[in-house]
Amino acid sequence: MHPATSPTSGVSAEQAHRTPLPRRRLLRRFVAAAVAVPLLLGGAVACGSDDEAGSDGKVELSIFWWGGDARNQLTQQALELYTKKNPDVTFKTTWQANQGYFDKLATLTAGGNPPDIFQIDDNFLAEYASRNTTLDLNEYKDGGKLDVSKFPESLWQYGVVDGKLAGLAAGENTQGLVYNRTLLTENGLPEPTTGQSWEEHVAWAEQVSKKTKVPGTMDPSADYKAFWVWLRQQGKDLYSGNDLGFTAEDVTRWFELWKGARDRGATPTADVIHEGNATDITKQLVVTGKAGTSWVWVNQMPELKKNTNDELGVVAYPGDPSAQWARASMYWSVFRGGKHKDVAVDVLNFLVNDPEAVKLLGTDRGLPSNLDLRRAVSAEIDDPAMKQSIEVETKLAETFGASPQVPIKGHSKVRAELIKAAEEAQYGRLTPAQAAEQFFTACKSAIA
Amino acid sequence: MVATTPTAARSTRRRPGSGRQLLRLAILVGIVGVVLYPLIWMVGTSFKSQAEIVNNIGLLPEVFTPGNYTSGWTNFDFSFGRFFLNSAMVSLLTVVGNAVSCLLAAYAFARLRFRLRGMWFTLMIGTLLLPGHVLIIPQYILFRSLGLVGGDWPYLPLLIPQFLATEAFFIFLMVQFMRGIPRELDEAAKIDGATAFGIFRHVILPLSRPALVTTAIFSFIWTWNDFFRQLVFLSELQDYTVPVALTLFIDSTSASAVGPMFAMSVLSLLPVFLFFLAFQRLLVEGINTSGLKG
Amino acid sequence: MALTTAPGPTRRGDGSVRPPAARGAGRNRHGEGLAGYVFLSPWLLGLMAVTAIPMLLSLYLSFTNYDILTPLSEVEWVGLANYERMFTSDPAYWHAVQVTLRFALIAVPLKLAAALGVALLLNRAWRGVGLFRSLFYLPSLLGGSVALAIVWVNMFNRDGAFNSFLALFGIEGKPWVNDPDWALETLMVLAIWQFGAPMVIFLAGLKQVPVELYEAASVDGASRVSQFWHVTLPMLSPVIFFNLVLETINGFQGFTAAFVLSNGTGGPVDSTLMYTLNLYISGFTDLEMGYASAMAWVFLLAIALITAIFFSTGRFWVHYSDGER
Repeated sequence: MHPATSPTSGVSAEQAHRTPLPRRRLLRRFVAAAVAVPLLLGGAVACGSDDEAGSDGKVELSIFWWGGDARNQLTQQALELYTKKNPDVTFKTTWQANQGYFDKLATLTAGGNPPDIFQIDDNFLAEYASRNTTLDLNEYKDGGKLDVSKFPESLWQYGVVDGKLAGLAAGENTQGLVYNRTLLTENGLPEPTTGQSWEEHVAWAEQVSKKTKVPGTMDPSADYKAFWVWLRQQGKDLYSGNDLGFTAEDVTRWFELWKGARDRGATPTADVIHEGNATDITKQLVVTGKAGTSWVWVNQMPELKKNTNDELGVVAYPGDPSAQWARASMYWSVFRGGKHKDVAVDVLNFLVNDPEAVKLLGTDRGLPSNLDLRRAVSAEIDDPAMKQSIEVETKLAETFGASPQVPIKGHSKVRAELIKAAEEAQYGRLTPAQAAEQFFTACKSAIA
Repeated sequence: MVATTPTAARSTRRRPGSGRQLLRLAILVGIVGVVLYPLIWMVGTSFKSQAEIVNNIGLLPEVFTPGNYTSGWTNFDFSFGRFFLNSAMVSLLTVVGNAVSCLLAAYAFARLRFRLRGMWFTLMIGTLLLPGHVLIIPQYILFRSLGLVGGDWPYLPLLIPQFLATEAFFIFLMVQFMRGIPRELDEAAKIDGATAFGIFRHVILPLSRPALVTTAIFSFIWTWNDFFRQLVFLSELQDYTVPVALTLFIDSTSASAVGPMFAMSVLSLLPVFLFFLAFQRLLVEGINTSGLKG
Repeated sequence: MALTTAPGPTRRGDGSVRPPAARGAGRNRHGEGLAGYVFLSPWLLGLMAVTAIPMLLSLYLSFTNYDILTPLSEVEWVGLANYERMFTSDPAYWHAVQVTLRFALIAVPLKLAAALGVALLLNRAWRGVGLFRSLFYLPSLLGGSVALAIVWVNMFNRDGAFNSFLALFGIEGKPWVNDPDWALETLMVLAIWQFGAPMVIFLAGLKQVPVELYEAASVDGASRVSQFWHVTLPMLSPVIFFNLVLETINGFQGFTAAFVLSNGTGGPVDSTLMYTLNLYISGFTDLEMGYASAMAWVFLLAIALITAIFFSTGRFWVHYSDGER
């Protein structure tokens, strides 16, 4: 339902449309009843009938994403193209930076009017899917209305939560270790390579530190995506079903690996690591010159390049690269209570499979999910940094392993707790074993 | 120092160039220098190139890059001026709403006797105490159920509360100021036959100027800087206000136009600075002579 | 208080003289009662329509497992579970309480002292005073923008301006903002730096002190120091009281600076995890809005207690010219 066109009257009619409220429980508590019921009436407005279009056949879809202005321009153009091909469908677009994006999305959902289509990431997909906010796209996929046949199998599967296809991969990315090539060439040092072991990487970083006075590598012990890759290389995983896929001992080993690296001078000091633990592009140590590497996503390379005059290179994270997978950089999801769900799914299909639209969108949300179109788009890229990241990802795609399950409810808390525990160890306030114990306990309660 | 200077405040003694004055000036300039250094750094940074902002932490840019201002101003489909206008409109209307509605309520609390006054006052203070983050969602649900969200003029949910004196801060502020106005003035007016409204109009209102000026300043500036509520209630780029628009430059994972963001941040300080500069004059003039000497 | 004499004779603004109206006490009271509610009506409407319902709803939600995404009609009543969890099994909660207490106890008095000190320096009218006032207010204009975070980190990082300043005296600095032992202190400095709001309120309060009182005091031969203690402070006390109450509330609620400086995490290692930041993270990131609401109501009760203490001590030191209390 679109707020600008929503009638403020007719609430009761639509209310009747809804499944009966479990009023008894509310009425038992008079405060709740006095306060909540009028609000429920309002909230119920959103769940109207599922008709396909207004009497005049016109449909307006609301669509919401986060990103910068470049993404805005590209997405607007792609949506205009859809309207051109389907004149009855128009869009009400909302975009903002990711600061506050999920706060607003949650608030809109609470108010009963989330957008028809919204962008989401693997951090929150399970949260929304498990509360039935997202439409299950499986029936559309099976009915041929949503085509994922050209997607890498593991990519679209990374949108499945509890057997439901909750999000459609809007693009693909994977972990990438970005390093300062200028620094290495100037000092006659070798560049890191895909497939080097973690121990080799630490030894390499130690060598860089000694020669250049710039700490060789960022300490990624607080970084869930590095931890995750490392776990998969140990035959473990971040999650397994509704439980954790690792033990406290695994965490201890991970923290000890990096304590060793810090002790050898391969990484920066704890305060600098803390700076690098922020996910912002502009705080990555490889661009601030405070370390030789940063642990990021491959597709962030071009944006990183804008913030430094040095040449950058990118390889896979250390260890067996088959631990990496075709990760959906972000998804498009459809609101389950929306009025025009079929049209919304058709728009999704258009955004990922229409050659013109995909060409317009380029690699802004990651590599195009549709492999045929990905080749076409990649061939036309000129930006050297982007070219480089596409080449690396295409290479890695050859060895990609199966995708893990989408992170479960409580994942954002797990991420935050990992940072906290790793920093306790980095600042030397806890031993690796103590920090691991703290993290493991916190995780258990976060996903409970 | 604290104990001696203020007493000079009201006396007419003023000897230019006296040692004490010079000392005070020196102290002030010293404090101002320290206080303003971060801001000067911010202005310097707004002239740095992207790579320099991240790497050069010095005060001055190595390569002077005024282009941040033009690219920031023209970054979106609308010029950044549009966001300034939106913010100015919301802020000015908020000033009007707060000044009028809070003054009325404050007068009632400070001067009038009525049933349950103590209870209402306690409730009013109580509304100051609940952290706002748990209210955003209930408020959103409420405003939406009232049909106020996302209308043709999307600022209603931001402004209606301001015209209903929901900012208890300002009521409490005005109450404290009004209680500083001697009651003898009311009594005298009462003897002259003034009604409650007459006293309000002829005694309290003219004497409330410092409180009103303070309210105006804070309403304007806080609204100008408010992010969360404006983010939640505004959904179209053309309606965005300055704080929301400023975040658009930096999407922490995919965009990093830090230079233009700094430039626009510096620019966005100007209107509030000018507003303050203009209104603080009213504080300088004071009200005592006109109000009390008679 | 001998100096707080009643002001001189007054006359109505238009200078006209009207016959005194009949002033039966009862009648007057009655009229005032009605007038009181008339003047109060916008606020009452606002309270009922805008403030009270969300507040009560959040109170209700504090007894539920509300997670924002589940419709209100399907939330489950969990009784006191949220409150129990807060008090018995959430170390982060008590950590946040400690951080907030430390912050408020140090930053609030210092901020008020800075504000009062500078206000006294800037009270007198002289050429350029307006500019100085505005310059002192400038930091407060910044609010909690992204730019502010970048500025502050660059002032108080290992290679920041503050350490360059310390180096002049041969002192070796620390990475203040990134040091868990000092990050909260940089937050305090930020709060104190933005002392503009209480300063303006002090300035406005100083303007309200009747000049006659100072004149009377000098006639009585009171020294400047004694004028400050016997005129300025008593007359300013309602405003001091206001600033004390409000800055205390603000100090405990301190969110923006902690949010912006720590990127919304409260780090490094929770050293800047203020109460409201912890509450925000619980509510919006962990989607435990029921739990967050419970935290908010415990906060309300605690601050209400502190505020009540202020109000009850206020009668001993706050001087109101309206003669009440």
